[in-house]
Amino acid sequence: MHIVVCAKQIPDPETPPSAFKIDAATNKVVPAQGIAPVLSQFDAIAAEAALRIKEAGGEGKVTVISMGAESAQAAIKQVLAMGADEGVLLNDPAFEDGDSHTTAKVLASAIQKLGDVDAVFCGRQAADWDMGQVGLLIAEILDWPVATIAKGASLEGETLSVERVLADGFETVQVPFPAVVTVSNEFGEPRYPKLPQIMAAAKKTVTQMKAGDLGLDPSEVGKAGSRLQLQKLFIPEKGAQVEFIAGDTPQEQAAALVSKLRADKLI
Amino acid sequence: MAAPRDTPNRAQRLVGGWWGPAVGMSALGFYATATAPRDEAGREIFFNVPAGPWAVYVFFAALVGLLVWGFVRHASLWGIGRPTPGLFRDIPQRLRNTARLGLAQDKVRRDRYAGIMHWCIMSSIVVLTLVTAQVAIEADTPLNFLHGDYYLFFSFYGDLFGVIGLVGVGMALYRRYFADFHRIRWDERLEDHIIIVGLGLVLLTGFVVEGARILVTELDAHPDWAVWSFGGFAFAKGLEIFNFAEDQVLFLHEATWWVHVSIAFLWLGMIVFTRLDHLFFAPINAFFLRTDSQGRLAKIENIEEQEVFGVGYVQDFTWKQLFELDACVRCGRCTDVCPANIAGQPLSPMHLIQDLKAHLADVGPAIQQHRHEHGDAGREVSPVALVGEVILDETLWACRTCGACVQECPVMIEHVPTIVDMRRFLVMNEARIPATAQGALENLEMRGHPWRGTSLERTTWMEGLGDVPLFDGSQEYLYWVGCSGSLVERNLPVTTAVFRLLRESGASFGVLGQEETCNGDPARRLGNEYLYQILAQQLVETFKAKNVQKVITNCPHCFNTFKNEYPQFDGYFEVLHHTEFLSKAMQDGSLKATHPIAADVTYHDSCYLGRMNGIYDAPRQIIEMVPGATLTEMQRTLSKGLCCGAGGGNMWQEEVGERRVNHVRSEEAINTGASQLISNCPFCIQMFEDGVPAVQPEEEGRMRPFDIAELLEDAVFGPKAKEETPAAAGDSSD
Ligand code: SF4
Ligand code: SF4
Repeated sequence: MHIVVCAKQIPDPETPPSAFKIDAATNKVVPAQGIAPVLSQFDAIAAEAALRIKEAGGEGKVTVISMGAESAQAAIKQVLAMGADEGVLLNDPAFEDGDSHTTAKVLASAIQKLGDVDAVFCGRQAADWDMGQVGLLIAEILDWPVATIAKGASLEGETLSVERVLADGFETVQVPFPAVVTVSNEFGEPRYPKLPQIMAAAKKTVTQMKAGDLGLDPSEVGKAGSRLQLQKLFIPEKGAQVEFIAGDTPQEQAAALVSKLRADKLI
Repeated sequence: MAAPRDTPNRAQRLVGGWWGPAVGMSALGFYATATAPRDEAGREIFFNVPAGPWAVYVFFAALVGLLVWGFVRHASLWGIGRPTPGLFRDIPQRLRNTARLGLAQDKVRRDRYAGIMHWCIMSSIVVLTLVTAQVAIEADTPLNFLHGDYYLFFSFYGDLFGVIGLVGVGMALYRRYFADFHRIRWDERLEDHIIIVGLGLVLLTGFVVEGARILVTELDAHPDWAVWSFGGFAFAKGLEIFNFAEDQVLFLHEATWWVHVSIAFLWLGMIVFTRLDHLFFAPINAFFLRTDSQGRLAKIENIEEQEVFGVGYVQDFTWKQLFELDACVRCGRCTDVCPANIAGQPLSPMHLIQDLKAHLADVGPAIQQHRHEHGDAGREVSPVALVGEVILDETLWACRTCGACVQECPVMIEHVPTIVDMRRFLVMNEARIPATAQGALENLEMRGHPWRGTSLERTTWMEGLGDVPLFDGSQEYLYWVGCSGSLVERNLPVTTAVFRLLRESGASFGVLGQEETCNGDPARRLGNEYLYQILAQQLVETFKAKNVQKVITNCPHCFNTFKNEYPQFDGYFEVLHHTEFLSKAMQDGSLKATHPIAADVTYHDSCYLGRMNGIYDAPRQIIEMVPGATLTEMQRTLSKGLCCGAGGGNMWQEEVGERRVNHVRSEEAINTGASQLISNCPFCIQMFEDGVPAVQPEEEGRMRPFDIAELLEDAVFGPKAKEETPAAAGDSSD
């Protein structure tokens, strides 16, 4: 059983609001000074899910793949410290500024290149853009079945049994291998790495791959291959207006409030 | 107002120095041998007990053999531990500890009743042993000195200490059987009854023997000698009433003598099998007591090369840690003061020590044998897991590392390092951590501070303060704000108060602003020594690069870490807690508290400023110099103060148990009737902000927690800070 975990390094979601800045000219988030990027929490949970399946099966391999800059090594090491066996960093300037589709294409190519992959575990969405597309698109490109928003996953004979979160409950589905699973926070907390594993992870080398290694043409990835155009990135202005409702008695005030809310079409 | 102290004063120490008179008296006796002309006052040694001499020597030889055997048996078990570095450094200090803590028993006397009781029993045993030794010397050496005035004097003090011993036994019996006294019954065993009743019998039979002898030999012939042995004299008078025939009295004498000697030796033999071994182990453990600060945890050297991280197997403790398990007398003092135990949480330091001791006895011999045969550490020998089965995870997590147990332990056991060693194993080796504590650790790794989810920046507190100087190496002091001081809403007013007071005092100082990172204390106390070392090394380098020499902190944990722990990383800085700096500034006049603050306050000693670093006076001096403020102490105060509940990383944990420690402590503060609860630690303040409303749900008249700097800020600049907080304004006007 060889499971691939897709992991993304994102700007720290806990960046204090006062330190979160956007460059209007380039439509990009300005990296906050002194605040290091982190592994997307959903991906850490996906790694936990993959590791539990490997451990339950008693054998197998977990490979963590990340597309990103050199700094994403930290995210890969974190998953290695949790217990993953190998790490792959897809680092090429050509990959930058793409959309969900180009990202999925790069990741899917890497998965194909690895060859013997039985399952791909992704977070349900990256905690920065919250699109939730990449996992689905990887399945589409690889033509594999996909189970989304999993709160549980386990091996059942030759298939994967996935418990999914629905709007009004849960369902359990059986998925044949190879398959893609996107994991939700309902799954539970990712593990805290043990020190021996942290130190082993520190010694592991992460394989680097570029567009050429994956047989991809720079024109089909990154900004060049992107189908999605970002129009404008901005921080919404928050405002508050306070109006005191007049009236001599509470009854009158309530009546005035109701007509005001009606007038504003709020009720 | 002089701050109340609870370290023993000179007079108390002298009383503790019981051995002085006893030794002096014996010396007098030897002096008498050489000088006094022989007169006939004296007695026949082994009077009426023909078989006596050989019996005593056989018993004595057996006892010595038993003691040696017992010691070797214990020592071989301690020997499975790791080496203990530095035990023979600071010898003068260690000898002082042995004298004060081991012989004068400073700690035993922290409970006055027990102190008197123990003094009575111990001094009686020691003096009566000396008495017996003198009898032996008289009988079996050419020295003859038990005659004349010295003999009478000898008779007197022998009897005196016999009576003192009986008083001690009486006090012990009262506490054990008649008083509503709990701590000694938390782990009561058969031996406890045997020890105390046995000692009482030894003393009583001693008097009977003496009384019988006096009745036969002295009462009529030398009544003026007899009265010196006043105890025996009284017994003789008592026996006289029965009008026994002389041979009956002689029979009684001989029979009781045998009983007396047998019980005495059996009792001494129990040293090997019972907690009586503290007779030797307590003073030895006083010698082994650490001579550096209690606030310092041991550094794991070459951490990357360890096979196992922390202590998860009994043989990974140092042998000193194993040795002290044997010193424990199950007195319950540690558990009695343990905040976790007081709040009904699953930790009792006494049971922890006893469980470790029992585990060592269970698996120690097998480990020894395995080592002998295989030469490896034998970690797989024990059938039960030390951490998780012998000692539960939740027990280890409940500890506040507050040091109250260490402070009270009469045999100088250090629980905190032992507990943290096992936590280290839990966290680093096993990664078994309560979720919220894990969150704090992950946050430290990812963001360099433990405050998950804060929306503040390290510079937020500076808003509205005008020019805040950044430290560039030219200033005298670095004002270290700390993670709580900058990232927790409630602590920002404390930070600004300290800042304004420093500026007002004219001190030359700067801050690091964005460049501050956590010094690692939460990681170390939570057991992640690896993370701690990374953070500490980083910060020591930053300090050195910036040429930091003197640091002022507003947090006792930062203070303790810089002062006591950074020297382990070659970081030597002069570190002041803000209370120290501010009290000095007030004394030399650079700060003046001119605005009266009419407030009844009570003061909470944080563990890491108080017990761990002995700073009790500076904060009280500040309160004293605030015009209008009156201080009411809580019942548990100074070195007996109770933790707020946050220590040892419990700031980031969910508490399990009946109550929360901060509620208990808040209640104690509220019971003083004060309107403000003054502390010196950002964690304490947060704990009380939560705890006080839980105990006083009514907002009206509710006690308010403040840092001492906030109090002083009002007194120096006028009560501005309180204007924003109406509840406090109400408080300070009453
Ligand atoms: S350090 Fe404090 S909390 Fe921990 S065992 Fe000792 S008294 Fe209890
Ligand atoms: S550890 Fe110390 S204080 Fe606690 S029961 Fe044992 S001897 Fe008493």
